[in-house]
Amino acid sequence: MSQPQVELELAGDRRQYQPGETLSGHYRLLGVTAREVRAVELSVLWYTEGTGDEDLAVHFFDRFEPATRAIEVCQPQYFGTQLPASPLSYAGQIVKIFWCVRARVFFTQGKDLMVELPIVLGAVAAAKEVEE
Amino acid sequence: MSRRFRFYEKKRGDRRTGSKQFGNVGEALFFGFFLLVGCLALWAMGVFLIVPEWRANRHFVETTCVVLHKAVGQAGEPESQRYRPEIEIEYNVDGQTFRPTIYDATGMYSVSRASAEEALARFEVGKEYPCWYDPIDPGRAVLVQGYSGWLYLSLLVPASFIAISTRRLIYIWLNWGTSAERRSMMSRRAGELEFFEESRGKALANVPSDTNWTNSPGTHLAYRLPIATTPGWTLFALLAACLVWNGIVATFVVMAVRTHLVGEPDWLLTAFVVPFVVIGMMLIGFLVRQGLITAGVGATRLEISNHPLYPGGEYEVLISQAGRFQLTSLNVFLVCQERATYRQGTDTRTDTCTVYRECLYTVENVALEDHKPFDGRCRLVLPANAMHSFNSDHNEIGWKLVVRGSAANRPDYERDFPVLVHPPAVESPPE
Repeated sequence: MSQPQVELELAGDRRQYQPGETLSGHYRLLGVTAREVRAVELSVLWYTEGTGDEDLAVHFFDRFEPATRAIEVCQPQYFGTQLPASPLSYAGQIVKIFWCVRARVFFTQGKDLMVELPIVLGAVAAAKEVEE
Repeated sequence: MSRRFRFYEKKRGDRRTGSKQFGNVGEALFFGFFLLVGCLALWAMGVFLIVPEWRANRHFVETTCVVLHKAVGQAGEPESQRYRPEIEIEYNVDGQTFRPTIYDATGMYSVSRASAEEALARFEVGKEYPCWYDPIDPGRAVLVQGYSGWLYLSLLVPASFIAISTRRLIYIWLNWGTSAERRSMMSRRAGELEFFEESRGKALANVPSDTNWTNSPGTHLAYRLPIATTPGWTLFALLAACLVWNGIVATFVVMAVRTHLVGEPDWLLTAFVVPFVVIGMMLIGFLVRQGLITAGVGATRLEISNHPLYPGGEYEVLISQAGRFQLTSLNVFLVCQERATYRQGTDTRTDTCTVYRECLYTVENVALEDHKPFDGRCRLVLPANAMHSFNSDHNEIGWKLVVRGSAANRPDYERDFPVLVHPPAVESPPE
């Protein structure tokens, strides 16, 4: 029996976006049946990395529970959202902001499965530490 | 080989490496215990105190009794005795005679013997008084009716246990097996329900509001920039720290000096006090320095031609320095700083890192006069690919204009004027 997989693709295979642009794509579950899947969550979010504690905020969120929708679990599920003006992706020294599209599958049994596609929002230059 | 189930491991802030489920179970057990304690206490108070008192006031039947004997009842250890009035009465119900020793429905002891004696003084042995008996159990009666205010007030204790525990258990239940993304979405939706939330409906997420910047017009340019910390407050804070520290240290200094004066020097105490005295002297030094800056250096004012700033934008800045002294040099810098807050154990720490610094203006050897502040102008060009101001719970990116001055015979001074940088304008910013 094949391992469960998530196919996550962005339209045009893009990774770079500007604020206000529409991000769209689809995800598809492979190697699973509707009974095995409790829910699938698709999020477009940003999170911080670096010295500080992590902050995270979701811009777009869709939760799909196969039991509540009369659709085939392995059919592609399409999504799209207009990206916000802020915060922009940023590679700082102690603060970094990353954007990504994340698909998370909750199975009725066993561990969750997560797939993530990083994207870049805006065109902010990477920061370097400067002397005081 | 990796362990499948991690009970406890290192953590810093929210970056737990142990089992989240184990943590949830532990937290649920902890608050479940407090919920149980609260429920049991509430049940006990209801069954043993509130219901009897309520029944005595509403259901008991009035009759007449004779007081046979009265005494102050005592309970507890000899060092923590508690008292209550105890009165033996006699009354008849349907031809049957009852002789209970009672007073009120709760039968609670108190720490005040005087109040128990005061209650007893209202009854005389051998005289008749009204009393109320329980029609279900005529052997139970009370001599006084009424509700105890303290009893209903004390309900707050178990009620708060129940409220806090229930709230936390609901939170744990809602978050059980919930992804970080879903939690974030739930809290965002909850935030949108706050009708008076200032940030509601604003288009720029995690960019501070510009209200504090644009509510003060300038005299020459569009806006006067607010100063980060006024020198007066810094001086006040230093003065307070200086007084508290040196006040405490002075006590130990007096003790140490006394031992020397009486000819029995306590060298251990003296050695202990010395480093604290040195820190106190340093604080006085900082205070004097800040006093010189505050008193000697006049107000610094910055005005800007437009606000908020945008990457690639050009702006005019006016610097105005008041005071009466010889300026050796005066510089204005544009600075971008990252600020990260994190928890380490029980401490909350903040790191800062300067990632952009550009000198916008320099002037040297200027003589300031009382009646005429020095005015200078410069151009500010924000880099086209600059990061915008950003603010989240633990991370921050901020821009500011820093004025640094050096004066003859005075300490150098530095004053910060935060500015707000917005991301490049989007034609129709999404919600």
